[in-house]
Amino acid sequence: MMAEARLLTPHDIQAALTAQKAGVTVRVAVDALGGDHAPEIVVDGVLQAANALLKVLLVGPEGRLRELLAGRESPFVEIVDAADRIASGDEPVEAVRGKPGSSLVTAVRLTSEGAAEACFSAGNTGAMLAAGMLHVHRIKGVMRPAICTLLPAVPLPVVFLDAGANADVRPEHLRQFAVMGQVFAHEVLGIADPTVGLLSIGEEPGKGNAVTIEAHKLIAADPQINFFGNVEGHQLVQRTVDVIVADGFAGNIALKVFEGTAKTIVSEIRKAVSGSGRAKVGAAIMAPDLRRIGAALDPEEYGGAYLLGLRRPLIIGHGSSRAKGVANGIRTASRGVTSELLPTLAARIEAAGAQAP
Amino acid sequence: MTREEVFEQVKSILVETLSVDEDKVTMDARFQEDLETDSLDLVELVMTMEDKFGIKITDEEAAEIKTVGDAVDFVMGRLG
Repeated sequence: MMAEARLLTPHDIQAALTAQKAGVTVRVAVDALGGDHAPEIVVDGVLQAANALLKVLLVGPEGRLRELLAGRESPFVEIVDAADRIASGDEPVEAVRGKPGSSLVTAVRLTSEGAAEACFSAGNTGAMLAAGMLHVHRIKGVMRPAICTLLPAVPLPVVFLDAGANADVRPEHLRQFAVMGQVFAHEVLGIADPTVGLLSIGEEPGKGNAVTIEAHKLIAADPQINFFGNVEGHQLVQRTVDVIVADGFAGNIALKVFEGTAKTIVSEIRKAVSGSGRAKVGAAIMAPDLRRIGAALDPEEYGGAYLLGLRRPLIIGHGSSRAKGVANGIRTASRGVTSELLPTLAARIEAAGAQAP
Repeated sequence: MTREEVFEQVKSILVETLSVDEDKVTMDARFQEDLETDSLDLVELVMTMEDKFGIKITDEEAAEIKTVGDAVDFVMGRLG
C-alpha cells in the first residue's frame, strides 16, 4: 500500500476531484439558468472552468447569454439555445415532463444523446434527479441512484451518500450505496481501499432502526466492502472513515445540520474577530489558520454533488453557488468522465448482483 | 407483435432499465406492491415504452396501468 499516495489535505482532495487528464477533452453541458444567481454567476463560473481540455455547452436563452459573454467570448464555450426555465419550487417529474425545452432538461438530454459527456446544474435537485433517471437512465443493476457529496469534515472531507435522493430505502439499497461510495472514493479521490461506515445511533451492530440493522448485516457480509461498522453523527465531522452511507432522509437532515452549523460558526468567528482592537490583532496573527479553517468548511471548494448510479456523470451544484462553486462543479463533472468511475461502478454493481442471494 | 412478444419487451425494460428482479416479472405482478417500483420508476417505464413502441401514453392513461398485464394490454390496444 506504500505506493499509493495518501491524501493529506483538503486541497489534495479538491485537486483529485477536479483534475484534468492530459490529451482527453471533455464536453460538459451546463444549465445556465440553474441556481439563485443564474445566469450571471453561472457564466462567470463557466469562463473560469472552460479550457482546451474542458469544453462547455452553455444551455440557456441565447440572446441573454451572448450579452453576458460580450467582450469575453471563449473558444471553449458554445451556446445552446433553451428559453424555458425550471424553477427551484417546481414539482420535479411534472417539470421534466412538461418543460422539455427547459435549460435543465436540454442540458441533460445533450448529455444522454452524446453531444456532451457530463452535465452540471445548480438548479432544482429533484428535477435533475428525475431528468437523469428519465433521460440518462441508471447503470444496469443500480436499484436507486444516490446523491453523493463531500462533507467538509476535519481534517479531510468524507464521502457521504445518500444526501437526499431517496427518503425511503430498503437494506439492499444501502448496501449498494456502500459499494457506490467506495468506488467513488477510490476512482475519483484515489483513496486506497476506502473504509465505509453506516450512519446510525450507536456503534454496536444492533443499534438503529429496522432498516439500518438489516443493512448492517448485509454490508458486513459483503466481501467487496471494507466495512468499518456503524458510525454516529459526530463522525460526520470527526473523520474516522472514508465513506459514510445513510438513507436520503437522515442523510439530507445530517447534511443540512452540518452546513448550517459550519456557516453559523464561520459567521460568529467573523463577527468576533472584527470586534475589539485586541480581537483584530489576534485575528491578524491567526489569519492563515482562520483562512484554512474557512476553506476546509466551505462547500464551494468541492463544487457539487454527484448523482451516482447513472450512466453519465450528472453534478448538482448548491443553489447558492458563486462562480467558484460553479467552476469547481463543472471540473468535478469533467473528472467523472476522465476517471474510471463509471466503468468500475458498472463492473462492481454487476459483480455484486451476480453474488446476491 | 404477439402478446407474448410485447410482454418480453416490457419485461426487458423492467429488468434492464429499472433493475427489477427478472423472476418477479409476471403478467399479474403489480408494479408498486410486487415489483417495489416507485412513482419515478413508473414514469421511466412509461417513457421508455413510448420510445420502444412508438406510442404516446398520457398521464391519465399511465395512472390506470397498475400491473405488467395492464401495460401489455395497453400496448396491444395501441398497436392494434
